[in-house]
Amino acid sequence: MSTQPISSAEINSDGTIVKKKLGIGFWLCVTWLGLMALIALFTPLLPLKSPTQNFLDPANGRPPYSPSWKHWFGSDKDARDVFARTLHGARISLTVGFAAITAGFLVGGTVGVISGYYKGWIDRISSFVFIVLLSFPSLVLAILLTSLIERSLLTISLVLGLLSIAPVGRLARAATLQFADREFVLAARQIGATNRRIIIKEILPNVAIPMSSLALLGMAVAVVAEGGLSFLGLSVEKGITWGGLIQLGSESSKTLEEAPWIAFFPILMLFLTVLSLNFAGDRVRNYFDVKETTL
Amino acid sequence: MRYYVQRVALAILLLLAVSMLTFGALNVLGDPLFNILGPVAGDVNNPESVEMINAAKREFNLDRSLPVRYGLWVSDFVQGDFGVTFSSTGQPPVSGVISERLPRTITLVLMAQFFAIFVSIPWALITASRAGKVSDRISTINAFFLVAMPNFAIAVILKFVFSIKLGWMPLTYTADDPLRSRIFQMVLPALTIGLPVAAVYQRLLRTDLITTLQQDFILLARTKGLSKWRILFVHALRPSLFSFITVVGLNTGALIGGSIVSETVFRIPGIGSTLVESVLRNDFPVVLAIVMIVASSFVIINLLVDFAYTLIDPRVRR
Repeated sequence: MSTQPISSAEINSDGTIVKKKLGIGFWLCVTWLGLMALIALFTPLLPLKSPTQNFLDPANGRPPYSPSWKHWFGSDKDARDVFARTLHGARISLTVGFAAITAGFLVGGTVGVISGYYKGWIDRISSFVFIVLLSFPSLVLAILLTSLIERSLLTISLVLGLLSIAPVGRLARAATLQFADREFVLAARQIGATNRRIIIKEILPNVAIPMSSLALLGMAVAVVAEGGLSFLGLSVEKGITWGGLIQLGSESSKTLEEAPWIAFFPILMLFLTVLSLNFAGDRVRNYFDVKETTL
Repeated sequence: MRYYVQRVALAILLLLAVSMLTFGALNVLGDPLFNILGPVAGDVNNPESVEMINAAKREFNLDRSLPVRYGLWVSDFVQGDFGVTFSSTGQPPVSGVISERLPRTITLVLMAQFFAIFVSIPWALITASRAGKVSDRISTINAFFLVAMPNFAIAVILKFVFSIKLGWMPLTYTADDPLRSRIFQMVLPALTIGLPVAAVYQRLLRTDLITTLQQDFILLARTKGLSKWRILFVHALRPSLFSFITVVGLNTGALIGGSIVSETVFRIPGIGSTLVESVLRNDFPVVLAIVMIVASSFVIINLLVDFAYTLIDPRVRR
């Protein structure tokens, strides 16, 4: 594994070299993610109905109203617009997902690279901390922590960030180990480069490539975890989340039977977003030809 | 021998660290008094209430310092005494709660695991034998879809389709029903956990099978004129199962985590749903017991997988 170069070209059986492509699926996913990111960023500016207002319509009978021209995704039991609520839900879900994986990369990536580069006691301690964190199934640890703290956007992101430290750190360490003793690192050391310079200029660019697909896959995991937490009522307390919307729509079997749209539109959005993150991450990994075993 | 001792010592150290973290987090961040006393717990100006609060603190050892409490808890725990629940009566004992609910979770996880294995093996065999063809590509897309579906969403969809629309499956779990109907009631919850896992197993086994199918002995078997299915099942499957078995083993611990959502949606009183309830009630002893059970099963399975490796390949034991 250590000698395998990371490249974006593929050699065919007849010896011709073909440039690999990310494929149309990848760009579709990126488009969807970009759209979601724009929605999340600019929700207050969009011409949406208020997500908290009750659009009671006596002529239409009692809510929930089914999807119509007026309410694209229908309304919930309190006559609130499911379309507006679903788009608003993108905000917390994506923010938490993005913030969590960023935090995980900052802490886990740094610790992983440092322990992979210096080895020794730093490596031993950090590896032990990583295994301790990994001995909790992640949802158990998340539930444990979120139940005890005040649940705001920041704290939920930090908890999920904490959960991503160990997997990110282990991959960063493994990737660093592969490069730490390579000739170009040795050469840099020979001409007198400091450790800090070697890490930043020589190691990081190489480690960043396998990590880039982990960023996408990790964000998918964080978005799902946030969804799971809010489904259990343990995510951001004030605010609309996809998990919370799904929970509201499926709480009682009666609601689910009479108004399946309340749960199913958020499920669809969540599904498409997670699918896009997974698929894009997988394509990036393939593109750079990273072996699955290192992830 | 030294290798085994080291691995067991590490496992014990790991569990100690997990218990310290959990115990510390619960006791520093949470406050169980409300669950024990009700509204009285917040009434610190009334001397009568203060008396009750102090009595409760004494009764549940909450007046001791944190390290002392941890020490008491550990020494009880290793002797099999999980303590009392933090409620007004302290009843039932935690071990009672666990022994009532753990079997349900174990059944659920085993059903999910069996389901995932029995779906993924034929699925992987079919797709690996036609790798790159249209049916393989469709199956890849399906696997992606399954993995991208969060398990709470799968639970809601399964419930909607099979319980509500088709009416084939019961909506919830009833603890008093006879065993057969309880198993039947666990089918959808087990599918919820098992479906995405089956997709993961299939991806893994398919890759390994494709590698095996390129080996010379498969070519030999084909030139001998053996049937395709005989080659797949008898010759190709066994040498491809190595990493499959590892992942199946390691996943068992993670599946207990997956049962939390499934148990909550389908109202199964197992340890997953109990964890959510107790954590919200600050019922520390129950939470600790469940976290330790989950972490221990995870660590022990890991250890067994490692030991199995050393039996298969003694070079690991360096």
